[in-house]
Amino acid sequence: MKKFILITFFLFSSAAIFAADGAPCGDYGECESFKPQLNKTESLQLGAVTFINHCYGCHSLEYSRWGRIAKDLDIPEEIFIDNLVFGQDVKLGDRMTGSMKSADAESWFGIAPPDLTLVTRLHGSDWVYTYLKTFYEDSSKPYGVNNMVYPGAAMPNVLASMQGQQILSCKDLPMIASNGGIRRDEQGNDITEEKCGYLKTVSGSGSMSEKEFDEVIYNLVNFMTYVGEPSRADRERIGWYVILFFIIFTAFSYLLFREYQKDYH
Amino acid sequence: MTQKPSGIFNWLNSRLPIVNTYERHLSKHPVPKKVNFWYMFGALASVVLIVQIVSGIWLMFGYENTEEGAFASIEYIMRDIEYGWIIRYMHTTGASMFFAVVYLHMFRGLMYGSYHKPRELVWIFGMTIYFVMMAEGFLGYVLPYGQMSYWGAQVIISLFGAIPYIGESLELWVRGDYYISGATISRFFALHVVALPLILIALVFMHLVALHEVGAGNPEGVDIEKHLDEDGVPLDSVPFFPYKVLNALVAIGIFGVVFSIIMFFFPEGGGYMLELANFEEANPLSTPEHIAPVWYYSPYYAMLRAVPDKLGGLVVMGAAIAILFVVPWLDRSKAASIRYKGNLSKIAMTLFILSWLMLAWLGTVPVTELRKTLSIIGTVIYFAFFLLMPIYTSIEKSKPVPERL
Repeated sequence: MKKFILITFFLFSSAAIFAADGAPCGDYGECESFKPQLNKTESLQLGAVTFINHCYGCHSLEYSRWGRIAKDLDIPEEIFIDNLVFGQDVKLGDRMTGSMKSADAESWFGIAPPDLTLVTRLHGSDWVYTYLKTFYEDSSKPYGVNNMVYPGAAMPNVLASMQGQQILSCKDLPMIASNGGIRRDEQGNDITEEKCGYLKTVSGSGSMSEKEFDEVIYNLVNFMTYVGEPSRADRERIGWYVILFFIIFTAFSYLLFREYQKDYH
Repeated sequence: MTQKPSGIFNWLNSRLPIVNTYERHLSKHPVPKKVNFWYMFGALASVVLIVQIVSGIWLMFGYENTEEGAFASIEYIMRDIEYGWIIRYMHTTGASMFFAVVYLHMFRGLMYGSYHKPRELVWIFGMTIYFVMMAEGFLGYVLPYGQMSYWGAQVIISLFGAIPYIGESLELWVRGDYYISGATISRFFALHVVALPLILIALVFMHLVALHEVGAGNPEGVDIEKHLDEDGVPLDSVPFFPYKVLNALVAIGIFGVVFSIIMFFFPEGGGYMLELANFEEANPLSTPEHIAPVWYYSPYYAMLRAVPDKLGGLVVMGAAIAILFVVPWLDRSKAASIRYKGNLSKIAMTLFILSWLMLAWLGTVPVTELRKTLSIIGTVIYFAFFLLMPIYTSIEKSKPVPERL
């Protein structure tokens, strides 16, 4: 019987059944992993600044309210209004409905830039993080850039001044033999072949180093992860107490159950 | 209840059968003394039902059943209502957990022959509950009006259209419009929050009344009614209260841990409980690349896709549910429990559960040729398990069932 179950299991789990689903990050393949730190207020604040300065011009956060962000991110109201809220009649309780009319946007860009409140929940933070880092120069596109994660994205690379020019380049890589090892010539040197499609930044073309830029994107996506579900940090904090409650509840009810079980055993 | 009742209590009790009901269904209701963890899922299902009703009522405080407002009102609940997110995740996790415990409960029934005479009606009420739950779950899934709500509803409602002659008008009647719209949302809302819950509660009540009439089964398939004491109480039983209530309490505690781990740390369930595409508002102009149901419908969705013809698929899917209703009459075995049934039943049960799990997975992934073939194999095994049951349960030799528990 056990053997039979095992054989059936192996039959069903053969690799062929699982092949067929495309890579999650388009031409880039697997997404880069992103681990949010929703308790790191400074990172969230910096992310909010980047978002409002570089993204909010086109993208709204329509389910989020200004005041909630100020409160959650520990930004004093006055500083928040003076530095981050553009527009005279915006109140803290208002939703962040964006500064561009969607009809205008459609005539300028051909498509209205999507609302980004839930983008990290829709595609995952990994996806957004990878997307923002994989713009490259492509003169065939209307904005001169293309994206590896989302080829043909109708969005300019708004952070190009920080990141600098990113281009697709080629690399010499060792050839892999059919047995999985590296192919070598008669002298024992590795045989290499040229493979293309790797991202490379032209050094000195941006205002930031690669590390600094990564950090900007990290903070930005961290903030967007927060906006996607502002209660997430609370949820994960409260969760521990609820689980602890149920563990204690289980322990006591087990003791009581054991005591009463003696009546009939 | 042995102490002298007070005046008010006496007054009440002579007008309302309080003591009688308490004794009949709790303090004196006999239940088999030896059962295993598989017998806890019924209690857990009723706990989840209560969670769903209570959290559902609270969700209605903030939900808006219109085409324009539905999606935004969910985000309003998640963000602007104090602890609204707890209520919402309780309800979404509860939906999945409801199906999880009900599937385990049903599997217990199949494994230990809980449908054997005289419990046929208990089984039928239970299956009707499952059927209504599927409808309830589907209706609820449409309400947030995300992309998957819309396109999932599109797929399911269009199935009505496959019915010959009346199909098209039926489809229109169900939808309430020529396409899915505010009219669909508001009728689905009424059905989801009033009509089906009422039916569900009535059915659960009947399920329990019928169960208490015939008594609960046990993993050995022993008929405890055969050996009674001088008061007519089965020797192998204990009163429901407090013994089995304490048993259930332990189960509820463990279940609470599992429930809260999912609810607080994995509310999306990896996209199988809250599908990621549903974080985008419904858009009739853009079809998602891959439409998949939530996990609890996926075995039947895989069957639907296994058949190339739409009507054929609908018939197969309907038959897959319908056949469960007649299981009490398909099983000819003398032993109720799998423990005393022959090897053929054991092999059939194993193949059945494997094919069901395989179909469940196939229903969630995009179709390829290989997967389509596997869906057909899975569907055939699923039906063979039931259709061949009268044969393999009568030719195999079952072991003698013990007299006592």
